[in-house]
Parts: sequence; C-alpha cells; structure tokens
Amino acid sequence: MLDIVIRNARIVDGSGLPAYHGDLAIEGGRLRQVGGQIAASAEARRVIDAAGRVAAPGFIDPHTHFDAQLLWDGQARPALEHGVTTVVHGNCSLSLAPLRAEHRRKLVKMFQQIEEMPDAAFEDAFEWSWEGFDGYLEALRGRVSLNVAPLVGHTPLRMWVMGEDAQKRAAKPDEIRAMQDLLRACLEAGAVGLSTSYVDMDENLAPVPSRYAHFEELDALAAVLGEFGRMLQVVPEFYNTDVTVARVDQLAELSLRHGIPTTFSPLFDTTVVPDNVPRVMDRVAEQFARGARVWPQVQTRPIDISFSLDMASLYFVQLPMWYMILRMPRDQKIALLRNEGTRKGLIDAAEPGGDTSRFANLRVRDSADASLIGRTLGEIAAERGTTPAGAMIDLSLAEDLGVHFLAANMGHEDPTRIGPLLAHDLVHIGASDGGAHIQSFATYGDTGYLFSRFVREGRYLGLEHAVRKITSDPARIWGLRDRGLLQPGLAADVVVFDPDAIARGEERPVRDMPGGGMRYVRAASGVHQVIVNGELAWSDAGGYTDARSGVIASA
Amino acid sequence: MPEPVIDDALVAPGHDGQAVLVVRVRHDNGGTDTVMLDADQARKLLEDCAAESAEELRGQPWRRLLGILDSPR
Repeated sequence: MLDIVIRNARIVDGSGLPAYHGDLAIEGGRLRQVGGQIAASAEARRVIDAAGRVAAPGFIDPHTHFDAQLLWDGQARPALEHGVTTVVHGNCSLSLAPLRAEHRRKLVKMFQQIEEMPDAAFEDAFEWSWEGFDGYLEALRGRVSLNVAPLVGHTPLRMWVMGEDAQKRAAKPDEIRAMQDLLRACLEAGAVGLSTSYVDMDENLAPVPSRYAHFEELDALAAVLGEFGRMLQVVPEFYNTDVTVARVDQLAELSLRHGIPTTFSPLFDTTVVPDNVPRVMDRVAEQFARGARVWPQVQTRPIDISFSLDMASLYFVQLPMWYMILRMPRDQKIALLRNEGTRKGLIDAAEPGGDTSRFANLRVRDSADASLIGRTLGEIAAERGTTPAGAMIDLSLAEDLGVHFLAANMGHEDPTRIGPLLAHDLVHIGASDGGAHIQSFATYGDTGYLFSRFVREGRYLGLEHAVRKITSDPARIWGLRDRGLLQPGLAADVVVFDPDAIARGEERPVRDMPGGGMRYVRAASGVHQVIVNGELAWSDAGGYTDARSGVIASA
Repeated sequence: MPEPVIDDALVAPGHDGQAVLVVRVRHDNGGTDTVMLDADQARKLLEDCAAESAEELRGQPWRRLLGILDSPR
C-alpha cells in the first residue's frame, strides 16, 4: 500500500522546467512515482486531490537561527506551514554545539543578542544533554518535523579550544590544529559546513569570538571543509561596500584553494546606497567566472524600521529636537514629553506647516492595548483629535514609552530592483533569519512573498523559476543531494499550494515563547499540505500533525 | 592638503530592523564612499562633531568618522 497519493497536481518539479499535470506516489518516505496517472485502484493511506494546485518540492531555507527553538518546537513554527521542509541553522558563527558546559551561559547571551529570546527559552525549555556536535544532533533526532541542515559555528569552536582567550586574540598554531580536528569531527557527525561572522556582537557589544580569527585560521578551517566539500557561510561587513567586495575576493580565494562553496549574507538593497548591490554583484560575477563559488544570499521581504521613544533611534536623527530629547535620561525625557510647550515644539518640528505626512503612515507595532496594533498613527490621530506626532507622544506616555512603532518598507523595497536581483542566476534566495530578531519583526513567509510579490504581481520570475530558486538551487548549492526535486527515489518533501493565492499573512505579535516571551509571526495563506519525508506534517485543514519525520539533512 | 569631508548622512534601515545612518564621504578628487553606522556609532559621531542632527554632519572632516570606525563595532 502506498503512503500518500497526490492526484491531479500541476507538478513543478524544482528543475525549472515547465510544469505539467499528473499524479505523485509516495512510499517509505520516498517519491515512488512523479507524473503520469496512478491507477484509481491503487491503495493509499492518504489521498490528496491537488486539482488546481501546484505540487512542488519542499522549500529550503538556507539561513535560519532555529538552533534552540527546534529543541522545544520541532516544527519550527510557523516556518513549516509556509512550505519550508528543510532549514539550515547555525548561521553567523553561532551554533549550540560543540559547546562545553562551562561556556553555555556565555554563548546563550550571544544567541539572545541576535535572537531576542527570553532566558526561559534556554533555561527551562529543554535539557542541555550534549557538549559535542553528535550529541546535539542526537537531541534533535526524533524531535523535528522538518529536515535540519546544521552548520558549526566558528564562535563555539573557538571557545571550545581557546576558552576565554577566544574573545581576546588570534589562535596559535596548535589551537588552529585543535579547531581543525574538532571541525572534522562535527562534519563527520553531520554538519553541513562552518559559519563565521565579521559583524556580530555579544551582549556587551563586544565582537564575538569568530571576529578575532586571523585569515590563517579561517584558511586552515576551510581546508577541513575541503575534505568534505562543505559550505563556508560568512557575515561580511555588509555596511561597507568596499569591504564586502574585499570579502567576496577572500571567499573566492578560499573557494578556489579548497574546492568549497561559500555563501555570504546579507546582501540587501537600499536607495540610500544605490551602487552597493551592483558593485557587489559585479565582483561576484567576476569570481564565478574564475571558477569560484561565492553565493550572495538575498532576502525577498522589504526591511522595516521599528522603534519606541524609549530609545534614541536614528529614525529621528534628521529631527534635531526629537533626537536631542530622546537621548536624555528616561525621567527627564518623560517630563519633557509631558510638557505642553515641548510637546508643541516637537509636533511643529515633525509636522511643519501642518504637513502630517512624516508620521501619518507609521503603524503601532506593539502595545498593551491590542486594539491599537497594526493601526496607523494617522487613523489614531483622526479619532483622537490630534496629529500623528501628537498621537505618537500620547500613546508612548500612556504606556511608559513601551509602545513600538513601525516604519514599513524603508529598504530593500523597490521591486524593480529586487525582482531582477532575485531572478539572477548567481543569487541564492535566503537570508530569512528564521527564528532570529523575533521581537523586532517576523522572519517567516519570505517564500510566500516571493510568489505573491515577484511572481504574480511583478512577474520578475515565472512560477517554475521561483520554485527552482528555493528548492533545487539551494539543494545543489549546499550539496543536499536527496532533496530539492520531485524525482522518483528522492526524499518525499512536497508542498501543495495554490499558485494564485500563496502569500504571507499579516505580521502579528504572539506570546508563545517559553516563559511567555513575545515574538512576531506571520501565518501562511495559499499553502494546503506540507509533506516531510513522506509524512503529512501540516495541512490547512488540520494544522500541525504529530509527524516527526524530519532528519539531519547532511547528504 | 585638502582632506575628505562628510558629504551627506541619511537614515536607512539596517539588516536587523533598526535604523542606521549612511554617511557619504567625498574625497577631494570627487570620489565618494559610504559607510553605515549603527545607533551607538552615529551618536558618538554626532557628539564628536558637536552636531545636533544628521544635516550638521555635512562638511565635517572624515577624520572624525575614522575615529568611530576604528572602535570595535
């Protein structure tokens, strides 16, 4: 008996070739038949009628930080319901293994700096049962509903070998050799590569340990990656184009010298630095032409700015009076915001001549008053008989400056620039950061946004092209040979979706983190079934299932 | 000898959803370069330049920017 039969599907097989209609059969976690008609008499435990819908390979997200979340939420909610069936985690130099027990607290603080997860997420939500990488993978086995492709973080690797000196100095030759041996053991256990960062900071805003490595150290570690043909992921100094271009050159040298793929993230567009992406992409193309593999990761979603009046966000740096007051000590700041004269001065500065356009479209991102969330300051101001600037001040004071505001689509937002970039053959669609920055914005639904914004609305990519970019392309880039295509014999990771409806839902705050911590999420729309290794993991009709069919996707 | 100066400073979104300051430097040969500063770096630059706003950074010597960039990010 077959496990699952999917009938009447529009099959988009991940290769980029044109879609066609047919059935799929799944048995023993593998695709047994793709295309053609499966006899009506064939018995199956589950039959899915996909008429009018697409059956595609499960989506692969190459840039996530689900390292901890997977230990209490093996479904990586809500990534799975968006059709994501494989995640790469351990990015940006940070992984939860290998990690000595005495270094846990220090590493957790680094994770929190990026992920914004509460202490309870690391202290109560799971048991630290490992130190080595194999032990961490053992903790995941049988727990996960999607496939995980873990990276080894350069930061814990250094901490294991160098202790506190990892965050003080370059490594000595014997320490580099010890790191090589440790990395080799991690790769043998199932790691898909090494991640490092030239940007990230710890909770004290000090550089993370990976940033103290000299090139000789990275070169030696890349040599070990070369033994396995595995990936080097890097966060370059993306805030400076010249340095990013230099890192592209450096990655290319490592790629050529050791025969490894490399990838860097993020690469994002802003109209304030319009030549950044073109310059970096020109150099990427030059290096690919030499035979190097240096994949830039580009996200699909635009970038928002969020802020509260509790901090002096640079959002206000072009409004001197606002910026000056917001930099003041808290009590003094609140007193001034309550002062009628100051309030009027602030409003006049932000809305000269009664022009309220500066703040009118800002939205309330988080508030104790749920009825305010998602509404614009313009709407709220009209109700309350004030201006948007006045509403911002009033709302903030009412909640002790705890209200957060959102300036949407401030960067990476121009579809005429982003669409062609996403369609570029040398661009690796990724950088979702799933599971990170959880209190700042939702990192879920980038795949749905790819289809809604860049396939349906903008037509920058065809359906088959878009599917290829998030299935077989990442599978080949990362060497995940069993995934990314609908092909008989391969792992049965399948997503069934409506190509006319797939999208990301509205961003909304939820308090579902361990200890009641909040995060922003987005639900999926237009996705109907998600199958992982032959088992139904989520459906729009039934939600999440008990399936725990995810595996360590190292090959 | 003329030295490069800050030509402009504009707010842009950073990768993590926080606002950053994009500072453009103009060299005396007409060439330009840009760098993004986070909130702490931008605040220090404003203080070092005795500037109240981004606009007041215009014309400041790039030496002040180099001092910021030399500090750990």
